[in-house]
Amino acid sequence: MSRHVAMLRVGPIAFRVGSAWKGPTDALRRLYAGYPVPAVPDFTVRLEPQKRWRRWIAPSVAIRGDYQFVGAAPLSLAHGLLAAEMGMNLQMALGLRRYLLLHASAVERDGRAVIMTGHSGAGKSTLAALLSERGWRFLGDEFVLVDLVTGQLRPFPRAVSLKNEAAAVMRAEGAGDRLLFSLDDTPKGRITYLRPDDAAIARMDETARPALILFPRFGDAQAVRLVGPAEVFVRLTQASTNYVTLGEPGFDALSALVRDLPARAIDYPDGDSAVALVERLWAELAR
Amino acid sequence: MLWRADPPRARRLVALDGLSLIYHRPSGMTHVVAPPMPEILDALGEGPADVADIVSRLAARFDIADPADAEAVVSARLAELAERGLVFAA
Amino acid sequence: MTDQPNDDTAGPAFDARASRRGMLMLGAVSASMVVTIRPALAQTNVSVLACEIPVPDPARAGSFVAADGSLVEPNTPGAFPPAPRPLTGEEVKTILAGGPGPAGMDPQAAQAYTRYIEKLQNGMSGFTCYASLQNPRG
Repeated sequence: MSRHVAMLRVGPIAFRVGSAWKGPTDALRRLYAGYPVPAVPDFTVRLEPQKRWRRWIAPSVAIRGDYQFVGAAPLSLAHGLLAAEMGMNLQMALGLRRYLLLHASAVERDGRAVIMTGHSGAGKSTLAALLSERGWRFLGDEFVLVDLVTGQLRPFPRAVSLKNEAAAVMRAEGAGDRLLFSLDDTPKGRITYLRPDDAAIARMDETARPALILFPRFGDAQAVRLVGPAEVFVRLTQASTNYVTLGEPGFDALSALVRDLPARAIDYPDGDSAVALVERLWAELAR
Repeated sequence: MLWRADPPRARRLVALDGLSLIYHRPSGMTHVVAPPMPEILDALGEGPADVADIVSRLAARFDIADPADAEAVVSARLAELAERGLVFAA
Repeated sequence: MTDQPNDDTAGPAFDARASRRGMLMLGAVSASMVVTIRPALAQTNVSVLACEIPVPDPARAGSFVAADGSLVEPNTPGAFPPAPRPLTGEEVKTILAGGPGPAGMDPQAAQAYTRYIEKLQNGMSGFTCYASLQNPRG
């Protein structure tokens, strides 16, 4: 069934993506060109026809793999790349045990990292992509991986999926040559995939120490609010897909993370003020 | 009515800004608690006790700022802890 | 416990803690002092809008859906037949917000299906999709 295969390693995680159609795996290979090719996968994603005959007629792509989401609607073949990306997210969210997984983005400077987390659509992906054009190293926009023993962050630099306005911002920043695929009419409207820059890819195995956590929210007048560690802890349990299943090691890793980490909720009206705010708080708070 | 709790080693406690995180090993559950919860759990470390004795143990260790209705308050807290599986009727 | 370096109380060994009793506020009877961490429901970050809920659950395929969302014997008067296709998360969200049901679907049937969905229990196939609708994230 999976006649086409793409293998890629992102940070510490090796994926095998098999597909009944050529399109999605070709797209993955182009989007992730130059990423290490692993011999043995940690997770497998399979893009399969929803029903046998849907391989050729009105192709309908079902996302299957080691871990599956009961009730997932199939996607059209035009959205095959989205299906592959969602499939990889799903495997991580449901199956990762080696690291504490947080829904967050992160960027690094001088060996220390800012973690940005919050509701989907609040702006953490766009902000991470923007900061990566302004002197920071991109560690990831979807998942932050926390080492259960050392507390260090492992980079997980997957492509960033951007909505229209955010793609335009990145084009204006000069990253147009890395905006590689656009998909129209997805459930989130038109999305464009931004390939991480060469530094992010070359340094994907260099860990970083968390030094600041932000809860960013785009679209309001500029504001900064202190967030206490207990609140940060509770919010992060809700932003983690595996906190509960990890048990005591998860508790130890998360409580250690929040105990000494300065945290702020920030509102900002646009990208430039967001970047300025991050720089100011970094200078003020990061140790 | 006698109350009891698991021994202290059944819980991992991390103190944060005035609140405490408790990982309860037997259940694998995490709770965020405020005073006097950790203090009540510690007081039960001396062995099962009824509400009056728990209040005495607390008074022996701390200056209770609001001693009026102490038994009513501690009873309410014990009921909450019982709901979460952190204390049990002995 | 080691000796307290600045201890200025004379006399035999004693419990250092007892001499330095901290303050304890017991708080109000009615206040709650515990928050228990529950697993985040929308765990997968698969777009909520892409999930589907069959009505009724395949384990009860063939049952009709009464106006209040409960399942009844087929052909019960006033009840609606099983939904012709699963409802997507986006459609359910729209109906719950007071918007129209899917095009081509009897609006009263759509309401009945939505009430059925609201009653879903853990373990039924549509539960995770419905539960993820409740979580503001995703």
